[in-house]
Amino acid sequence: MLRRKQFWFAIMAILPTFAIFGWVRLFPIIETLRLSMHEWNLLSKNKPFVGFQNFIELFGDNQFMDALTNTAVIAFGAMAVTIPMSMVLAAIIYHRTRSRFSGFYETAVFIPHVVSLVPAAMAWKWIFDAKLGPLNAIIMGLGGDALPWLFDPVLSVICIIFLVSWQTLGYGVLIYLVGFRNLPKSVFEAAQLDGANGFQSFLYMSVPLLKPITLYVSVVTLISGFNVYAQAYVLASDTQGAPGRQVRVLVLDMLENSFQNFRVGYAAAEAVILLSIVLLLTMIQFGLIRGKGGR
Amino acid sequence: MSATDRARRTNFLLDVTLFVICILLLTPLILLIANGFKTPQEMLIWPPTLFPKDPTLENFHKVFTETPLLRWMLNSFLFAILSTVAIVATSALAGYIIGKFPFRTINIIFILFLATAIIPFEVYMIPLYFQVKALGLLNSVGGLLVGYLVMSFGIFLIRQNVIASIPDELLEAARIDGAGELWIFWYVVLPLLRGPLAALAVLAFFQAWTAFAWPIIVMTRKKSFTIEVGLANFQSAYTVDLSLLSAASAAVMVPSVLAFVLLRRNFVEGIAASGMKE
Amino acid sequence: MTKSIRSRALKTAVGLLLAGTVTANAQDVVIWGGFPELTGYYERVAESLSGKYPDLNVIVEPIGLRDHEKRVALGLSSGLDDATILELIGSTANRYIVNDLIQPAPEGVSTFVNDDTNFEAFFQETAKVNDTVYGVPVFRGQGALFYNTDMLAAAGLEGPPTTMDEYDEYAAKLTQRDADGNPTVSGWSLRLSGGGGGIAEKFWINLHQYGGTLLEKDGDNYRAGYANEHGLAALKQYVDAVSGVKTVTVEMPADAAAFQREQTAMFIRESWVIGDTAKKAPDLNYKTAVLPRGSIALPVNLYVSGGSDEAQTAAWDFAIAANEPEHLIWMLDNVGWLPNRSGVDYSGVVAAKPQFGAFVDLPEDYVFFTLPSIEPINEILTRFAAHLVDAYADESLVGNDAAMLEVLKASAEETNKILNRAGILAK
Repeated sequence: MLRRKQFWFAIMAILPTFAIFGWVRLFPIIETLRLSMHEWNLLSKNKPFVGFQNFIELFGDNQFMDALTNTAVIAFGAMAVTIPMSMVLAAIIYHRTRSRFSGFYETAVFIPHVVSLVPAAMAWKWIFDAKLGPLNAIIMGLGGDALPWLFDPVLSVICIIFLVSWQTLGYGVLIYLVGFRNLPKSVFEAAQLDGANGFQSFLYMSVPLLKPITLYVSVVTLISGFNVYAQAYVLASDTQGAPGRQVRVLVLDMLENSFQNFRVGYAAAEAVILLSIVLLLTMIQFGLIRGKGGR
Repeated sequence: MSATDRARRTNFLLDVTLFVICILLLTPLILLIANGFKTPQEMLIWPPTLFPKDPTLENFHKVFTETPLLRWMLNSFLFAILSTVAIVATSALAGYIIGKFPFRTINIIFILFLATAIIPFEVYMIPLYFQVKALGLLNSVGGLLVGYLVMSFGIFLIRQNVIASIPDELLEAARIDGAGELWIFWYVVLPLLRGPLAALAVLAFFQAWTAFAWPIIVMTRKKSFTIEVGLANFQSAYTVDLSLLSAASAAVMVPSVLAFVLLRRNFVEGIAASGMKE
Repeated sequence: MTKSIRSRALKTAVGLLLAGTVTANAQDVVIWGGFPELTGYYERVAESLSGKYPDLNVIVEPIGLRDHEKRVALGLSSGLDDATILELIGSTANRYIVNDLIQPAPEGVSTFVNDDTNFEAFFQETAKVNDTVYGVPVFRGQGALFYNTDMLAAAGLEGPPTTMDEYDEYAAKLTQRDADGNPTVSGWSLRLSGGGGGIAEKFWINLHQYGGTLLEKDGDNYRAGYANEHGLAALKQYVDAVSGVKTVTVEMPADAAAFQREQTAMFIRESWVIGDTAKKAPDLNYKTAVLPRGSIALPVNLYVSGGSDEAQTAAWDFAIAANEPEHLIWMLDNVGWLPNRSGVDYSGVVAAKPQFGAFVDLPEDYVFFTLPSIEPINEILTRFAAHLVDAYADESLVGNDAAMLEVLKASAEETNKILNRAGILAK
């Protein structure tokens, strides 16, 4: 009885949001996915049905495969950097909450998230500059060789991971900070009485307690990573000197196919593949990061 | 050394580390601001100078007199506020439901919400554009909002925070006491969600503030541009007037920082004190 | 909530939703352009029409090219509300014409365009499909050689290179190297990296000088035309420059910025460089020269769609007024794009800015080429560019003609496959 009452409340409460979702997200997305089995050049009135032809062509398309590989590497790379760094940074900033600089720290970490990328990209092109950039200067100072960051096929992908992480760090820190602030104080007091130091309580208590938050940051960073576009675009643009090597990423490929090659159905097929892969990865993350009693 | 001395020393070291990290993170932006003060000739110098040798206010002057930058900021602000309200409202309730009412139907709805976040907006905005056009909402804030009323990640964020910080026992106790579900949501759950909701407000605000792909096709009149769309105007066919663009971006950073500091001080930090649990 | 508060709240909500809505009046004409630097030019033309159309309100809305193309695609396919003048490259407009989204131009405009004293055949063709006029030509992007006169003099070279062999010679002599023999200043800056089809376009310019073409036309169909001795010559030139003699490398600064900083002695680019250099490096001593055989020309035309008949008439009048010699001369002088109209006297501009000479004073037998108006053109260029980027980085290709030809053949196969898929592959 009680369960039924709760069930109906839940359905009613979520209905308005679901309705909005249906109209602004589900409907256009289903429409787009439907197009994956058709051919459409964006302009003509007819969209002939072509079955799985787009998908078959995609698997033989090495530009697409390239894009898929690059995007996956960038997404996982960004995740590997962002999750630990934002958790640690948030922990330190939280520890120093009473410092008068805590506002500065939080703001400084967050601002890259909201700045326009095109003007910021010039600074990054300088940082990665093979001859005159500070990154290579540091490397050479430490005894290494200068590397062609922006032009090497592998290194240019790392450049993008840098750029993406620079922007997502603030996002992660904000989320983790809220998580830290909501941790139950009593448990930590008890641990301190038992003699645990700061580092131990962080590792053995905060981290497990923050699992739901970590799941969030992990899923969001991965999905955002697979949606990377602006960062790849600005590094390859030809303002101020040589354009960097263009790293093909999925969104770039999809947009090119839709608006420049006029093959909307083909781009939609790419979207279907992207959806399948990332949905699977997301489900895996849910399975892995669930703790005892966590969800 | 006494315990407090040791604590003070650790704190000092931590402060230094944080400071260095923050300065490193801000370096690209320091260069961006510097670029706003450079003449076209000085923009050419490579490697770029961090402190302009020949600073000029010409770029800022041009940006404010030749483009409706303030108008764009106002448009963005209006759009961002409305979007934030919509997103926080929908995410709070939906996130709570999905977090604490794990029926199969609800879980399926959650997966749908999450799945829609995977497809990049740029890909399905074509059908959405036609929908908006059919309603006559092009070139209006309403049309802009259509894309920004709900946020899958927002719902997900509230769900995770609800799971992490609201014990089932609390809700059960309230129910046993005879409280209605809506009452529980409003008086028990929401106060405990102040922090996450504030964080969500910040994220939603800035998502709208920096939006580009959707506004540029929905708003075709210069007067109705939002910030990122307006900034794109500084890109001519083969070059970007980088000094002008940097000046404009630097000018936009001021309200951005202000907005963050305000939101943070009034909401995110506010709960630090009231975050006492149990 | 009482009724009055509720209705007030409702009104506020609706007001907020419609806030910022900008609607147009019947006499409004909107210009959608992909080149924001042309705003001043369009505003002048609008002013000149205020006598004939006192109520005319011309709203100029230029944005970056990529987004402009997107906006036009969405606008035309869903129907434009206001009378809109669309600035489009001929090959792009073709797509819309073929799908019945742009209507033929009215008779007066047709006559104007078809008049041989107004435009050369090359430009007339770009505005026509099957002999029907759809738009009005206005300007084009065109390439020429830019060279640093100080550097040439220092290397003992007189005058610009005039054959592709001379280009190679000059490149070698003009390259400055450090103690290890690595180039510090490139002799001839080439486009070796970056996104989109730009790399393929620049390659095509060089290929053209060797007498080759990227796509061979055969009636209404096309085939890849670069897997031959012309293509080989062009590719060899690149490979030798990058991996052989090493007159230029991928990491070196390139393009206009490098030229303005004197990090390269020569490069081929469009006329906007002149205005850009005047702003950023006014003391640079440089000249321009025509290319050995001819250049790429990317003609942009004005088309009209949407709105009332009245507004459309005004819009077409605008397109023709945009071709008045006084406006075109202003455009050349202040913006740097090259007007397409024949018979306009640019001597004033050239006298003041002699670098424009290589763009307007052309030899009789100068051969233009442009991007074919076919649907997959972008895809062909982008995929070819990907092959080229790999080839430029491949040191093993130096001196290996057979291998280079293989690269071209493999890419040509891909090009033909794309043409076949679009149904326009020549047999």
